[in-house]
This record gives sequence, C-alpha cells and structure tokens, in this order.
Amino acid sequence: MFIGTEQLTHTYMPGTPFATEALHNISFGFRRGEFALIIGPSGSGKSTLIQHLNGLLRPTSGRVLFEGKSVGSDKHELLRLRRRIGLVFQMPEEQFFSETVFDEIAFAPRNQGLQEEEVEKRVMEALEKTGLQASELKNRHPFQLSAGQKRLVAIAAVLSLKPEVLILDEPTAALDTTCRKNLFNLLTGLNQKEGLTVVISTHHLDEAAALANRVLVLQQGKLVMSGLAADVFGKREELYELGLALPPVTEIMHGLADKGLPVKTAVYTLQEARREIRALKRRYKS
Amino acid sequence: MHGQSSIIVESKDVEFYYSGEEETVWPALSGISFTVNQGEYVALVGPNGSGKTTLLKLFNALLIPSRGEVLVKGISTANEDTLPEVRRTCGMIFQNPDNQLVATTVEEDIAFGLENLALPSREIQNRVLETARLLGLEKLLKQPPHLLSGGEKQRVAIAGVLAMEPKCILMDEPTAMLDPAGCREVLKTVRKLNRERGLAVIHVTHFPEEAAGADRIVVLNEGQLIADGAPGEVLTNLPLLHSLGLRGTAAVELAALLRADGCPLPPQILHNRELVDSLCSLEQNS
Repeated sequence: MFIGTEQLTHTYMPGTPFATEALHNISFGFRRGEFALIIGPSGSGKSTLIQHLNGLLRPTSGRVLFEGKSVGSDKHELLRLRRRIGLVFQMPEEQFFSETVFDEIAFAPRNQGLQEEEVEKRVMEALEKTGLQASELKNRHPFQLSAGQKRLVAIAAVLSLKPEVLILDEPTAALDTTCRKNLFNLLTGLNQKEGLTVVISTHHLDEAAALANRVLVLQQGKLVMSGLAADVFGKREELYELGLALPPVTEIMHGLADKGLPVKTAVYTLQEARREIRALKRRYKS
Repeated sequence: MHGQSSIIVESKDVEFYYSGEEETVWPALSGISFTVNQGEYVALVGPNGSGKTTLLKLFNALLIPSRGEVLVKGISTANEDTLPEVRRTCGMIFQNPDNQLVATTVEEDIAFGLENLALPSREIQNRVLETARLLGLEKLLKQPPHLLSGGEKQRVAIAGVLAMEPKCILMDEPTAMLDPAGCREVLKTVRKLNRERGLAVIHVTHFPEEAAGADRIVVLNEGQLIADGAPGEVLTNLPLLHSLGLRGTAAVELAALLRADGCPLPPQILHNRELVDSLCSLEQNS
C-alpha cells in the first residue's frame, strides 16, 4: 500500500449537539501510480476522507497511512507530507488571493523557502504541465482568466510543489465539455507519463470511468464498495441504488444487453461503444 | 391556469459590457433578443465564458443592460422602483449554494425571503414546511446549512427561492454540486413545478443530457445568440455543437459514429432509449 487508511473514523464537532460521524471505520489502500476514484452521493464523506489523506483533518480514531507509516501529528512532518501529497480543493479558484497568476502559483514554493530562481523554475514547469501559455498568462490577474484556465492555475499551484500524489476534490465541477476534456488529458498525462498517483473524488463518472484503476464507493460515511474499476462499475443496480450513475454511453450498452444483444457492458467511451456495436454487426452477418 | 402566450421575460436587442471594459473589449453580450413564456422550460447552453451567467443576471436585474432592454412581466429591469417585483417574479438559483445561504438553520434560511415580504408568521411557516417537503428537507429544518452536503445545500437554496412563489426560476448550473440522485431529484422537482404550476424555467447547463429534457434550447457563443430551437433540432446539430466545443447527448454522438460506419439509424435519435430501440429493431431485421 502506498496511501490509505486503517479503520478511520471521523466525527465533526464531537461532544456538541451537532456531532456528526462523517466517516466510519474506513480501511483501504491505493498503490503507487494508480488512478483512483472516490465516488459516492453528496454528503457521503468524500471530501472529509480526502482531507485526511494529506493530514489536513485528523482521524477521530484509526489512522492514515503513507508509505506504510502512520501519519502523525508532528507539525514539521505534516508540512513535509503536504509537499508530497498535493490537494486541490473543490472550486479551488474561489480561494485565489494573489495579484498575478505567477504569484498565485509561486505561493507554495516561496512558502517552502525556495530561492526565487528555483521558484520561477517551478512556476514555469507547473504552467507548462497544465498546457497554459506562461508568457501570455503569468502576469495576468487570476480573476481575468476563463473558468477552465482558473481551474488549471489552481492545479498548477499544487504541482509547483512537485507532489507524488495529486488529490482533487470534484475537479470538473462547473466546467464545460472542452475544459473537462483538457483537465482529464492533463490528469492522464501526469498519471501515465510522470507516474503521479492521482486520486479524484467525483460523482460525475462520465470522463473519469474510463481512466480509473481503482474505485472506492462511500455512502453515509461508510465504505460500501471498493475494488478494481471494472468490478465496481459492473454493479450497475447497486450504484444506482446508491444514487450514482454510470456514464450515459455505458447506460446505452446496458440497454442493449438488457434487450438480449450480446454486447460487453464495461464500455466507458464512445469509441469503445462504436467498436463493440460494429463487432455485433459482424457477428450477425457472418 | 397559465396561457402559453403570456410573456414572462423579454430581452430586446440587449448589449452588455462589464463596467470599464467598454470599447476596450468585446461586449459580454450583444444583439440578444428573445422571449420566454410562462410555463416554458428553456435550457441555456454555450461554452464557458459565452455569456450564459451574464444573461441570467440580466433577467433578474442583478445586471442592467448597457443597451437595449430586459422586461420582466412587461416591467423594465432598469427601473429601480420596481426591482423587488422583478426579483420576486424571477428567482435566481446560483451554481454554488454557499453564495446564497444566509441563516443559521435551514428553516430560517427558507423563511428569509418570506420574512422580508412581511407575511404573517403562520403563512411563512406553512410555506416553509410545504417547500421543505417538496424538496425533501423536512428532517434537516433545524440543521445549520453550513454542515449540510453540497446537494442538500443546493436544495435549501432552491427551497428559499421557491418559497417566494416566483413565476420564473433562473438556474445557473444548479446541478454542478449535486450527485446524480440529487440531480434527478432536483430536476424532477423543477420539471414538476414547471408542468403543474406553469413555472417558467431558464436553466444554464453544461450537460447535454440535462438540456435534452428542456422544451427549448438556446445556444450562446461569444455573447451572441446563435441557435434557438427544440432539443431534437439543436442537440442533433453536431457540426454546430462541435464547432463550439460542445457535444450532443451520448445517444446523438454514438448514433453519428454508427451512421458513419454505415448503420442506417433514423435521424431523430436524442435519448438513450431511442438509440437502444433503433439498434434492436435493426438487429431483429437483419
């Protein structure tokens, strides 16, 4: 196991009338280099779980594990951990506070005490990875950017720390089709070319389903499914019961299978669906 | 009951510049003319930055046109004296519910607008309970909104607007923060109110599957209205959608790929069910 939890329980506002158990007895592990999804309905504990993974929240009981070691509460150790495990919040652009894109991305490396020369290198590299035009954008005010660009700047701000794990909470929320596609291309590249372990929480499986190796499903703070993507996505009725939905194209394949056509249902992209239906034609004709 | 001919919102040759930008940049909107009738459900689509949110804000006088005029039930939004009436007629639901929740409990939040109308407290209580029931919030009435999940918060925001009994609701990507079950539920509720009470709905969305459920789709690009028609007409126009970086429903997209492979599918496929049925009947006849 590279990163995971052991019997993690988290209670918000313990000892008050508002005490809510947000996570109950969660144990799982992701391997290095995996592309993992944490899915579940609103309020199931996705964001709470994610914020434990880089020590932002502390377990009420149980523990968080990174490289086999328990994540402790030592302040310096946690700072080191957060450089290695980067977290991108939900709607991260709402937390922008710098005057320029450059300063926004430079904030974390500067905070880390790096020399300005190294800071600049980190900012440029991070911008380049996200596909944003550094020369054009670095001196702009972050609020002048488009929604998709802002989201990428927020991700660049985390990439500037050169993390080994990149965790994103609902990264595609409120983005249009083109922006979502760009973002998933970026994440695929970071995962496959740079070997980053990517963990995403989402309830929109449309683009994410095709990329995931491993999937956790949360409901009301409990881990209700966990395993390889193909196994979890195979349980369509159970997912529906949980308030989740497979990508529309997967639903089409299920629709065909339900009518007795011999098609594979573990299909998450249009091109896969096209091949599958074409193969069906051939079988029928021969 | 409601007559289809009564106009709720009318936009007459509207042009809009964000202040200070005049003459230096393109207008955020230009030449926008269209009307929305009572009981109509209109989906507003377009790439990020195309002016969708700006247009919605013009419809409830959060913004005033730079040129041209917006009329809400015949009243110009530029007239300050009638602003309360305009805003009561057109209720706004923002993308992020955190931006519109104000009170310390769900109950008080739903009641907030009503209290400002100086209604008798019994009437307020009744409306709060009725709206809460409609949106499945009965059990959360005493909870503080900031401890709810994203989906629950959005339902509270919608309840706060619906309690005011508007004639039209303006929804800016209302499902961006919701899980699929939350989406289904909120959209079903809104559709029901639309059908049963003649509530007009203007719904900004990035999801073609959501737009496909509307009566009419209006497409914006770079501040201009470039298409306006029934879903079967607009969402099947893939050359147009793709040129804007948008897409059709999965069924439309897959049908187009299969047609390119020589599959004789009928032209009007929009929903999954239609594609599945067409493919099945082709298989049976082959």
